[in-house]
Amino acid sequence: MLKHLSHATVYVLNHDSAIEFYTQKLGLELRTDARMGDFRWVTVGVPGQPELEIALMEPKPGMVFDEETAAALRTLVKKGALGGGAFDTDDCEATYQELKARGVQFRGAPKKEVYGLATVFTDDSGNFFSLTQR
Amino acid sequence: MSEPSRVDRSQLTLVEQGWSRFYGGLLAARRRGAHDLSVLERLRRVRATLETQPGEPIDLEAMARAAYFSKFHFLRLFRQAYGETPARCLARLRLERARRLLETTDRSVTDICFAVGYESLASFSHSFRQYAGTPPQRYRRRWIALPRPAGPVLRVPSCFVAMYS
Repeated sequence: MLKHLSHATVYVLNHDSAIEFYTQKLGLELRTDARMGDFRWVTVGVPGQPELEIALMEPKPGMVFDEETAAALRTLVKKGALGGGAFDTDDCEATYQELKARGVQFRGAPKKEVYGLATVFTDDSGNFFSLTQR
Repeated sequence: MSEPSRVDRSQLTLVEQGWSRFYGGLLAARRRGAHDLSVLERLRRVRATLETQPGEPIDLEAMARAAYFSKFHFLRLFRQAYGETPARCLARLRLERARRLLETTDRSVTDICFAVGYESLASFSHSFRQYAGTPPQRYRRRWIALPRPAGPVLRVPSCFVAMYS
């Protein structure tokens, strides 16, 4: 039986810029920033949710991706075609204002949905996320 | 398909006991109808034995015999299935094992050379150099000198490591 999701992936274009976005603008914790040769392992997480780490991965050619696939993935991220997930908040409007003031790009103000309030923002690479209040 | 599982069990025991008893086991397996196993299964068994016992002396003829194929038929099928020749596969497995032993033990290079199945130190050093880029002894010195994190060991799930390998 599975216990919980421990790692999820978000493909980013640049580690340094992504770390700045996810920690300074979005307010996540930097959990790991380690280098092993060419491999840089960067994870961030929501404060108060230690069991889930978001791995920020630069798509690079290697065992999993060939050069063409890595390039295609970078293009998709840059285009804003890939969604990274959803973050929950207790107060969508206040969080929206707070993040917007820190420079997070939103695709609009929070709107009423059947389940509550929601809006969408993008990270520095182009990944989009929902911000929801349920 | 109860026969193959009986054969597999006997193979596992034989792997532990080494190649010397392997053939006797195969004869027994053949008597039990092992020749009915699919081609891939026959290849896989040879490969699994190479993986667990890369240091044992084995040549193409013996591998082919263990899989009930003629030498060249076995060579062709193995290459088709795994993208490398049996000899190359075995050499790679031996060198990977040598690398692990260099990294994780303080056994001498000569000892490791014979343990992974090489018969001469010169040919081991030559092959290892081609595989790792440096001769065994220097590889070990560099490995030891690599900076290590002072804190707790990182847990990086292997699917992520694979992305950068």
